[in-house]
Amino acid sequence: MTGEVVLRTSGLVKRFGALTAVDGLDLEVRRGEVVGLLGPNGAGKSTTIGMVLGLVRPTAGRAEVMGLDVATHRQEALAAVGAMLEVTTFYPYLSGRDNLAAIAILRGRGAQGRIDALLERLGLAQRARSKFRTYSLGMRQRLGVASTLLADPAVVILDEPANGLDPAGQREIRELIRELAQEDRAVLLASHLLHEVELVCDRVIVVKKGTVVTGGTIAEVTHRDSYFRIDVPDATRAAGLIRAVPGVREVRVLEGALDVVAEMDRGAELNRALSAAGIYASAIVPTASTLEDVFLELTEEERSAPAAS
Amino acid sequence: MLRLLRSEAFRLQRRWMPWVLLLIIAVGAVLVYLLIYTSVNAQLQAIRNGTIPDQPGTRTAIEQTVRQLRPDRVQAFGVSIVNGIGSIMLIVLAASHIGTEFGWGTLRTLLAHGASRSGFFVAKLATLLIFAAVFALVGVVASIAGSYLTAAIGGLETSPGVDLPAVASAAARGVFAFVPYMALAVVFAVWSRSAGAGIAAGLVAYFAESIVAGILVSLNRDFATVVNYGLSRNVASITRVTVGASVGPAEGGAGSVASTLPDQGQAALVLVTYTALFLALAWWRLRARDVTVS
Repeated sequence: MTGEVVLRTSGLVKRFGALTAVDGLDLEVRRGEVVGLLGPNGAGKSTTIGMVLGLVRPTAGRAEVMGLDVATHRQEALAAVGAMLEVTTFYPYLSGRDNLAAIAILRGRGAQGRIDALLERLGLAQRARSKFRTYSLGMRQRLGVASTLLADPAVVILDEPANGLDPAGQREIRELIRELAQEDRAVLLASHLLHEVELVCDRVIVVKKGTVVTGGTIAEVTHRDSYFRIDVPDATRAAGLIRAVPGVREVRVLEGALDVVAEMDRGAELNRALSAAGIYASAIVPTASTLEDVFLELTEEERSAPAAS
Repeated sequence: MLRLLRSEAFRLQRRWMPWVLLLIIAVGAVLVYLLIYTSVNAQLQAIRNGTIPDQPGTRTAIEQTVRQLRPDRVQAFGVSIVNGIGSIMLIVLAASHIGTEFGWGTLRTLLAHGASRSGFFVAKLATLLIFAAVFALVGVVASIAGSYLTAAIGGLETSPGVDLPAVASAAARGVFAFVPYMALAVVFAVWSRSAGAGIAAGLVAYFAESIVAGILVSLNRDFATVVNYGLSRNVASITRVTVGASVGPAEGGAGSVASTLPDQGQAALVLVTYTALFLALAWWRLRARDVTVS
């Protein structure tokens, strides 16, 4: 059912000795949406995914898939999950096809019957019988993505799926991720490729030192720090007028201009308020932040002193 | 659990290592028969020709060795070849079977696809046990073939033929004796997350413990009360057969040292205890450890 929460973490904590890798992390992923999990190296993304998959034991908190606690009902919960981890690992002596077959046996539920279609879908059909050890990084990533879909999962977790892919490959993966969401699956995507995240995700969660520092739709996150640059002859007087406009959060007075922090749909109201007072702006320019701007600003401190994951 | 076992068997069948091990035991068992026959036959010829002196007992000893090559002695000689080669091979396979999952990072792939740690562990052990049985079967069949081939070449007596129940019993005891060494290799592989460490530790324990035990008992038979709680002498006791040959890393089957071996009941108990201890340690470590994602 679209919108149903199928993956949830509540107060998830993981400590490795004195290091707190994840600190009370809450997240929800619903069917039909793609959620980006962002953060610098060591922010706790992979550890969080590890806890969701039951690979890493939480120090506190819980992870649920389809309403089932992963700690107590791991196998039932993971039956609904297809996951690709950051470092894609398969049996080097098996072919790509046999690697999928080995996992399909494990998965059951008709997984064997999906192998050929997935190899075709991920562009691996021609090299399906080649040994995994002969695969390029991009092919390994594709095989990893294929393996996540063997069990026809409701929840797909992808940790850096576009690593090593060329631009065309990255685009294919983006399209695939969108298709997965359209098929009413929930997708949790951890990636460093912010442009990719911006293009494919419905929501993002930015983590820093194991805690969520911001989250929301791409528009919400990027517009939070967006502003209007308004060129006016009398900036001080204009600032007084603008501050009274509903939705304006902050006004910074510059020489011959104003920076107005407000919702991006307030441009016309700002113009009207100034015009009504006989002040005519020569330019009102909305300046939206990119996801990269927001990410870099939020994680600046962490990037300068990265922690271990 | 059954799915994991099937997946494990699927992957094991596609590795070259088990097939190479089976090839080695199949060819090796026949070759040992042929080499020993060639060697003793050359000695007999040399005695007959007068090239080496016919000292009292020498010819008898050689003839006894030749008798060991007959089909009715496969339960002693043939099975001892399988056990001797098998212990080493299966230590290597056991450590590799588990250790490579850590080295390749495929343990986390399996777990991420829903496998349980307990299922993974049981499936590994089950496939190892099945392989040990197959290995012993192939080795015994090769030994029987080697025995008949040698008999045909050397004109040895083939009657009354292979004592199949005795061979089966000896082979089953041999497989039982493989298990603690395989468990030892598994525990080191799990703790070190490395096939190499498991192989090294398993082989060192296999050889060093038996050598030390043998030396100690040779120096003073009273030491037997201590070393009889180790692995090698209990394995020697379990694999001992009445016709004389035995296996074990260093222990011979007969003589005064053999008479200090523990009885088979105690030996079975000690080996089961070691196996349980090793597997419990491996399981505890596997269960408790986080499988880090990157």
